[in-house]
Amino acid sequence: MTRTAGFDRLLYWFGLIVIAWAVLTFLLVPISAALHAALFRHGGLEIVDAVAELVSSRRVRAALWNTAWMTAATIVTVTIVGMFQVAVLEYFRVRGSGFLKVAFSTPLVFGGVVAAAGYNFTYGPGSAITAALTALFPSIPRDWFIGWFGVLFAHTFLMTSFHFLFLRAAMRRVDYSTIEAARSMGASELTILRRVVLPVIMPTLLAVTLLTLHTVVGSFAAPQVLGGRDFHMLSQMVLTLNSLRRPDMAALLALLMGMVLMGLILLSQYFEAKGAYTAGAKTTTRIQLRQIRNPLLRTMVHALAYLLAAIYLVPVALIVLFSFAPASSIGIEMLPSTLTLTNYARVLGGGTAFVPFFNSMLMGSAAVVVGLAITLFAVPIMVRKRNWLTQALSISFFLPWIIPSILLAVGLIVAFDAPNPLVGNAVLLGSYWLLPIGYVIFSLPLMVRFMRSAFIGIDPAFEEAARAMGASGPYRFRRVVLPLVAPTAILVAGMKFNTLMAEYPLSAFLYNVNNRPLPIAIVEGAVSADPDQAAISLVYVTLIMAFSLTVILIAERLSLGRTPETSNL
Amino acid sequence: MKLSLALASAAIALASAFPAFAGALTIYSPQGGERAVWIAEQAKAAGHDIKLLNAGGGELFDRLLAEKNNPQADVVLGMVDTSMALLKKEGLFQPYSPSWATDLPARYKDAEGMVHKFWQTPIVLAYYPDRLPDAEAPKSWLDLTKDEYQGKYVLGATAWQTPRMYLAGILVRFLDANGEVSDEGWEFLSKLYAHAIIANDADSYTEAFKSGRASLDLNWLGGSFKLAKDLGAKVKVIDTEGGTPILSEGVAIMAATDQLDEAKAFVNWWGSADVMAAYAAKFGQVPVLPEALAKSPPAVQENARLVKAQPIDWDAIAPKLDGWLQKIELEIR
Repeated sequence: MTRTAGFDRLLYWFGLIVIAWAVLTFLLVPISAALHAALFRHGGLEIVDAVAELVSSRRVRAALWNTAWMTAATIVTVTIVGMFQVAVLEYFRVRGSGFLKVAFSTPLVFGGVVAAAGYNFTYGPGSAITAALTALFPSIPRDWFIGWFGVLFAHTFLMTSFHFLFLRAAMRRVDYSTIEAARSMGASELTILRRVVLPVIMPTLLAVTLLTLHTVVGSFAAPQVLGGRDFHMLSQMVLTLNSLRRPDMAALLALLMGMVLMGLILLSQYFEAKGAYTAGAKTTTRIQLRQIRNPLLRTMVHALAYLLAAIYLVPVALIVLFSFAPASSIGIEMLPSTLTLTNYARVLGGGTAFVPFFNSMLMGSAAVVVGLAITLFAVPIMVRKRNWLTQALSISFFLPWIIPSILLAVGLIVAFDAPNPLVGNAVLLGSYWLLPIGYVIFSLPLMVRFMRSAFIGIDPAFEEAARAMGASGPYRFRRVVLPLVAPTAILVAGMKFNTLMAEYPLSAFLYNVNNRPLPIAIVEGAVSADPDQAAISLVYVTLIMAFSLTVILIAERLSLGRTPETSNL
Repeated sequence: MKLSLALASAAIALASAFPAFAGALTIYSPQGGERAVWIAEQAKAAGHDIKLLNAGGGELFDRLLAEKNNPQADVVLGMVDTSMALLKKEGLFQPYSPSWATDLPARYKDAEGMVHKFWQTPIVLAYYPDRLPDAEAPKSWLDLTKDEYQGKYVLGATAWQTPRMYLAGILVRFLDANGEVSDEGWEFLSKLYAHAIIANDADSYTEAFKSGRASLDLNWLGGSFKLAKDLGAKVKVIDTEGGTPILSEGVAIMAATDQLDEAKAFVNWWGSADVMAAYAAKFGQVPVLPEALAKSPPAVQENARLVKAQPIDWDAIAPKLDGWLQKIELEIR
């Protein structure tokens, strides 16, 4: 017994040292290297010039303004759509809610460059919908979707995943007995929603809004693909400045974004702490779906719900459908007239088309597993012991979130382009390993964010009971805590894996000749005029979506019927 | 947690089994897609064991600079004059005189004997006669800002090689005595952007032509022909007043290569008249080696005489280009 306890202790300290080394080597050193290289490479005062150049640039000012108003507008529209989804799935009785749930879950697996390209494929100048519209109303320009409208549209429907995940969970935590009590006292449906339901979900709603805000401020793919010439946002400017070999200006702009984002993260942690106390009764009555009495209103809610589902499913369906189409029909036919498995045979047949897929699967799963191992080890310590060390660790894990991935890539390059004593004097740049390491760093913030909520949400009574019955620390962790956080872990692993399969900036900077990943191949395929390439990209996208959707639905199934605390945010 | 650790170590063990591809000659080249496939196949058939890394010219350039202390490439193939000049300045290359260099005209060789050019690529102004009558076509790049061409031409992203080169080709016409671009030059460029269709990606570039809006193509010669083929339309290249910017792509061996013999053998093979002529026959790229040009199809030989060159000292422009592009990106477009 003492021997195993001693071994556990050894493992604990060993783990702690490894994490401290990893955080120093792969987080703090690269980030400070990036900032140093960017801001002080010509001595100190050059920063003033860089700021002056930024301020005087017309396009930087425009990007700042666009980002500000687009963020505000997106928050409004996303909140409306997200709350409507939650109401349809968890509050009102709506026919076919299983189907609606699948439709509304698509943003979890359909995001980034892939989704933006999918929207362009569906609504853009060359799309079937545009062809139909212009045939009906000749005055509509072919690029009607391109510009701020397309960006706002894409944001509105692609950024509801946090609502789907967390606001629904919060709605399930509403104690139905409070609703019944209010009704028995004669409260109207509206009053119940406003005075009983809303206060319970409010902390989650605020946290979700902040997470969404964070996503909009850093939005890149949507404005890049759908913004056209007149609408661009800050993250595009960062990329442009970097490609103009002005990393100092890029870093300054990125830092400005980073500070805003850091403020948002701190705010969301504040609301999270608050939410933990307002979670409601210990033994709640499960909420029962409400029938909408007014027939007109009921029809309208159904119509809106199915319209929304159509908006979500049409781009995905088109991509899946065209992945089975002969390469020659892509971009030519509105709907494929014949279907074939050739494209799939080319990807899965093990030829050159298979290599990027294999590389990404391998690096993506390795990064997710390592990231999860770090998170599962570090987060419980960070949650339980609150001191300056764990605080510093917690802030370090969030750094990659406020540092744009481009800057992170630059940092990794600068830190490891020469022999570095922290990694045994190896030169990591150009090697196989730098990209998977970058993937792990890039995955940490979201994993830590979600797992933190999961660990905080565990009712201390479980552990107390286990301890009272004499279970050791590691045993409690394995048999009590781990099963409680497992659904969140699987979910976040699935989401992150999906993001990594489509992660562009880090991949583009860090890949080498032996690990060319999928995002690079997809972008090449999208740029290439060769229709075979475009067909293969569609297959890649379909496979990734299918894989991630499976993982997420499994996690969703696992988390159903568990204590509501597991999906606390 | 132990399970995750076990999984992690399994994944790492699995991964470490794959990275090793030692032995192959690593070549960095912006020639991608079917061109890369062709190069790889032909090289393999000739007994060269190569691995190509393709990326955009600018991206490859940044990558080579970043990897300075741990170079991965053995050979750099097909990057344009300005990039090769700057990379040479960084000390990345070593001298080697390929077997085909003796017959190469002097202007395609450098003084240090490190970079040898093998193609010439005009950046052309072309028009579609079915959309724009011959008489109405522009005569010079400087005609583009005239009102009649408003919304009829597409400017690509400045991250691409081709727009960088024609923008430079335009701006050098406005250099003042101090070697700086005059206000008149920037005014011209502002108007050029204001009147243009802007494309940030290849799809929207093609779309501008598919939809019938654009009738003037500012493109590299091969790209212009390929676009016309995709559109199923006829394109005419304009031999402009003041000349057309012509680039040359070069090859060089990295100073840090650990496979010098293989690298030399590859460079000798690549630049040889037969390989160049075969590439020309396949993709229409114009070789600069006289013997290779003589062996090329008549259409390629004709392309070599299509336009007269604009006199541009690329090595002098290379250091200024970044500043110009910054002004364009931040102020003008």
